[in-house]
Amino acid sequence: MRKTAVLLLATILLFVAFAKTPKDTLVIAANTEIFITLDPAVCYETFAAAVVTAAYSGLTKIEPVNGVLTPVPELAERWEVSPDGTMWKFYLRKGLKFSNGDPLTAEDVVFSFRRVLKIRKSPAWLFEELGLNAQNMEETIYAENDQTVVLKTKPLAPNIVLSIIAPPWGGIVNKKLVLANEVNGDLGEAYLTDKSIGAGAGPYVVTEWKRREVITMEANPYYWRGQPPLKKIIIRDVPEETTQFLLIQKGDVDVAWNITTEQAAQLRETKPSNIRLVTTPGQSNEYIAMNTGWGPFKDERVRLAIKYAIDYDAIINSVMRGFAVLNQNFMPIGYFGYIELNPFKRDVEKAKQLLAEAGYPNGFEVELITSTTEIRRNEAVVVQANLAEIGIKANIVLMPSGEMYQKYRQQGHQMIIAGWGIDYPDPDALAKPFANYRVRQLAWRNMWYDDYAADLAERAGIEQDPERRAQLYKELQEYWIYKSPFVMLYQPIAFWAVSNDVIGFEKACEGYTLVFDFTKISKK
Amino acid sequence: MKLATFIAKRLFLMLLVLFGVSVLVFVISKVIPADPVGAILGGNAPVELVEDLKRRLGLDKPLINQFLDYMSGLLKGDLGKSLKTNRPVVKDIAEFFPATLELAISATLFSIVLGILLGIFSAVYRNRFIDHFARVFSILGVSMPVFWTGLLLLLLFYFRLGWLPGGGRLSLFTTPPTKYTGLLVLDSLLSWNTEALKDALTHLVLPTIVLGYSATASIARITRASMLDVLRQDFIRTAKAKGIGRRLVIYRHALRNALIPIVTIIGLTFGGLLEGAVLTETIFSWPGLGRYIVNALLVLDYPAIMGGTLFAAVIYSLVNLVVDIIYAVLDPRMRI
Repeated sequence: MRKTAVLLLATILLFVAFAKTPKDTLVIAANTEIFITLDPAVCYETFAAAVVTAAYSGLTKIEPVNGVLTPVPELAERWEVSPDGTMWKFYLRKGLKFSNGDPLTAEDVVFSFRRVLKIRKSPAWLFEELGLNAQNMEETIYAENDQTVVLKTKPLAPNIVLSIIAPPWGGIVNKKLVLANEVNGDLGEAYLTDKSIGAGAGPYVVTEWKRREVITMEANPYYWRGQPPLKKIIIRDVPEETTQFLLIQKGDVDVAWNITTEQAAQLRETKPSNIRLVTTPGQSNEYIAMNTGWGPFKDERVRLAIKYAIDYDAIINSVMRGFAVLNQNFMPIGYFGYIELNPFKRDVEKAKQLLAEAGYPNGFEVELITSTTEIRRNEAVVVQANLAEIGIKANIVLMPSGEMYQKYRQQGHQMIIAGWGIDYPDPDALAKPFANYRVRQLAWRNMWYDDYAADLAERAGIEQDPERRAQLYKELQEYWIYKSPFVMLYQPIAFWAVSNDVIGFEKACEGYTLVFDFTKISKK
Repeated sequence: MKLATFIAKRLFLMLLVLFGVSVLVFVISKVIPADPVGAILGGNAPVELVEDLKRRLGLDKPLINQFLDYMSGLLKGDLGKSLKTNRPVVKDIAEFFPATLELAISATLFSIVLGILLGIFSAVYRNRFIDHFARVFSILGVSMPVFWTGLLLLLLFYFRLGWLPGGGRLSLFTTPPTKYTGLLVLDSLLSWNTEALKDALTHLVLPTIVLGYSATASIARITRASMLDVLRQDFIRTAKAKGIGRRLVIYRHALRNALIPIVTIIGLTFGGLLEGAVLTETIFSWPGLGRYIVNALLVLDYPAIMGGTLFAAVIYSLVNLVVDIIYAVLDPRMRI
């Protein structure tokens, strides 16, 4: 019996062979559990959106230009807009083709945009922001000829329109192919869920998605810019961060997508020879919000006191291990109209004084809700300790994010720690939720019915002149930072563990969560 | 009672149990104070979109109507559509179950062999070194967190020694076998794809050990107790007195009789492994049903949660039924 065991072990060992990943193939280890669909009209999850963007090009594309995320021409060669900013004409490049060789015409663009509105899933509201909807789409989205698409939008600053129509949701699908694969009038939704063969005109084609196993992308032979350097991209589903970290260290994968802050800090300090840590400022922010309809928070001075009570540096350095940037404004660094304004520093005396002026010399008790992730939990503990020092007793209540958002949407919270992921790279994507209660977003959820801020946000959103627009945002930020019920904690930094064989990852990830460009990556 | 009647009766009882489970799961999942549509659309989605989608999914209907809709679907074998992926839950289960089944079978086999061997040795050499060793070994198996054992083994056998792969069911560049059953080992045998067979087997080793080890203890303990019980009985003494060899007494006479209670525990173990494999599946990137159900819970995907739970209940009941039938066959007195 012992002999059999030894023999068995020996045979098993013989079978195992490890190979480095091929030169023209990028292998990524990532947690793909949040992937729901790769249909451009439905997909709304960050990493999945990067895959969708690779598979479906749009009229425009988001590119970092001098550190600012800007919409640049992609399938549309150029465009014209009427002086009032409502009538858009997009001229397509000549000879565009889908990945199966079918020609891409204005009709496909019209179909794709209307499809988003008809399916009406998560991304649809962005198109509706432009004034397009399922009722008016016949008049507002149409093809003038094979090369020209017309959009009739609300009067808006041009950058808003150009950034919203970029992929993922603005990705153009092959009308003929999609309709040929329609099931029960679903506009090809089931068909596009897990593949994009022939359906998109992006640099890559999603050939297969085996749920919880692997997503495979291959270079699109018909991509108008020519084929990208990597022929194949494989995303291996590895749910556990520690396993991801082992795989990248061993060289079995080229990128570990979801390493923890501890692992990242370890890489930053040890600097191993075969892998590196790649970082980029994230397109999101983390904040505390106070419901101004609730008790003490009705008083502006109480809100200000809390802004002075928080130890921002402690949160950035201890909770985030330094993977965050101090930014107390609602706009991320590098955005059009951003002004650097970080007036709040931990000042216990000042905070106490403000509380006393407001009539709460002995503080009060408040419920602080947040979601169950480790980072949020740790943040809540720091905030609780900070508030305790000025006499406010915060009771932390952790809940699953679904439950938290339910409460938040119903204005049912007192105080919350949450985050905001930016939807499109224009200050409008932040000014509206954070300052304009009329859009029934964050400002509304916190009952901050401030007409001055709302008016400013609206005016800036339709201002055609960039200089005046920047001025309006400046005014808004200066007002907002003292008056709003939001305490902005930081702008997070996104990070990856990347093999040193991989070139260009730093460029590819610039602007991550809004855009990730696989075409910029190659391998040694 | 005839065996057929016995089985029919048990099947009827099983249906009742399943109905109870479905009612319970439905009620519990609706009592949770959360909003699945909001969770699906994420924190940025405006109120209007949340309301609109809720209406389209029928989640604004009264609870009783939602329940009736669900039950009538169930009768037609339709577990509904996942809120999250918009795919039929049945299809999802069919996709993820084979991976879990394969792992559970392999882990159960592992724990049966190891557990029964340990149990026999402990019983035969009672209170000697091997007995104490088996006890410690089993207790470690139950008390060490699966997560920890898993990572430890990965670190040693994958990372340090490089003997075994670091997760998944097949290597990236191995051609998968033709799909017949979804069980990779079986499929590679059926399609005679030796490369895939070797690859699938090496991928199975670590998760099998991790998952099977924790189940070994109970099997070993029951085997030991049951063996001791049998070894004390008269017919063993008679067998020994007749001069039959020691091995023959243990393996032919004693073990066969000791097996009856072991069957129960194996059945329970197997059922437990089928749903309890979540952590092992996570560490070893195993695309199984356990992760599917847990993930559905996290995003409040009600149809997926209910479908998954019901499916687990069916499997569990079926395993129990099989155990009972084996019992009834082994010992007709059980049929009463």
